Amino acid sequence: MDKIFVAVSGINAVDNPGPGVAVARSLKEDEGLGVQVAGLAYDAMEPGVYMDWVVDRSFVMPYPSGKGQDYIDRLLYIKDSFGLDFVIPNLDAELPLYIKYADQLDKAGIKTFLPTKEQFRLRGKDRLVEVAEKIRIRVPETRAVHSVDALVEAIGEIELPVMVKGSYYQAYRAYTTQEAVGYYNKLVAEWGYPIIVQQVVTGDELNVVGVGDGDGELLGMVGMKKMWITSQGKVWTGVTVKNERMLDAAASLVHEFKWRGPFELECIVSGEDVFLIEINPRFPAWCYLATGVGLNLPARIVRRALGLPYEIGTDYEAGKLFVRYTYELVTSMDRLQAATTRGESP
Amino acid sequence: MPRLNQLALNEEGFVFDPTTGDSFLLNKTGLFIIERLRENKDHEEVLESLVDAFEVTAEQAERDISDFQTRLKAIGLH
Repeated sequence: MDKIFVAVSGINAVDNPGPGVAVARSLKEDEGLGVQVAGLAYDAMEPGVYMDWVVDRSFVMPYPSGKGQDYIDRLLYIKDSFGLDFVIPNLDAELPLYIKYADQLDKAGIKTFLPTKEQFRLRGKDRLVEVAEKIRIRVPETRAVHSVDALVEAIGEIELPVMVKGSYYQAYRAYTTQEAVGYYNKLVAEWGYPIIVQQVVTGDELNVVGVGDGDGELLGMVGMKKMWITSQGKVWTGVTVKNERMLDAAASLVHEFKWRGPFELECIVSGEDVFLIEINPRFPAWCYLATGVGLNLPARIVRRALGLPYEIGTDYEAGKLFVRYTYELVTSMDRLQAATTRGESP
Repeated sequence: MPRLNQLALNEEGFVFDPTTGDSFLLNKTGLFIIERLRENKDHEEVLESLVDAFEVTAEQAERDISDFQTRLKAIGLH
């Protein structure tokens, strides 16, 4: 089979890692695919730029928040100069752009396998209640508010402490109304409205990574419990789990919404109760765990989208440990120079 | 399948619950009891086998089983 050229973003393998290196590593492990990986970076220092055993060539990209066509032109350049059959964007901020330009990319011979615009909107925390109802899972008591008065009213109903969250990013725990108002103003200034006020639920943090085929079927999913986290709440040690309620909810998300592409559900599990906390419409950084237990989800996406045969098995072993670690590589300054001055490396 | 039967346990008493991701370490008595419960032995059978295996009185074995089952219930396993 000819080589397949796949671009992955989020190769910032730092203490708050992007998913790109895990996705690239998974693709490389499907030897039958013969993937050549183009790493899409936003900074010449992103570690993936230097990890030449998983990323074959790296390209520094314009920010996705800028002019969309500049970004697309950069992808077209990558296709001409390196080769590009498929892109897996792994960062939230990129997804609206890729969804918007998916047809244009497709016409240029660059395929994607992403949620639709409407599916992407479901990740909004103001939509969680609606999603949770459909997939038969609980959600912490939640209010979307647009004013300080409404915030105070919501706190009265939910009772302190509460979580104060931006609709898409950032969350703070507030123990007093004054504290909540402070976080409200901070989040409004940074992310705009609405602000989400949510009941604090305690329990174990269980997540699931999965992929939907867009027709209501799962291409695979794996559940994970966070056993050890960084100060930013990112998993450092985890273990595969089979919490049937959580896995049923993930399967329902794919079935009910005909979800296409990768996703992560973040849940809190307390006894028999499973609460949906967040939906991420992309691979999580820990997705190599799924590959490690036999479900290579990035490779399945590429195979499915390119019409190649793919495994349909969905079973995996619970109790497999995932341990992240730090490691250093020593290399020439030439790579940094090339990434900085030419925007690509090597 | 009952949660108890889904547990992964090894001969050293390390137990992993695949539903919650929790893990525990059992002593020899706990491991012995849990293995019998997973074999669907009834209370009397567990009691008798515990008395035989550990050479304890029926009262002591009864207390151990009761304590252990209370703990299993507390974590939703029994």
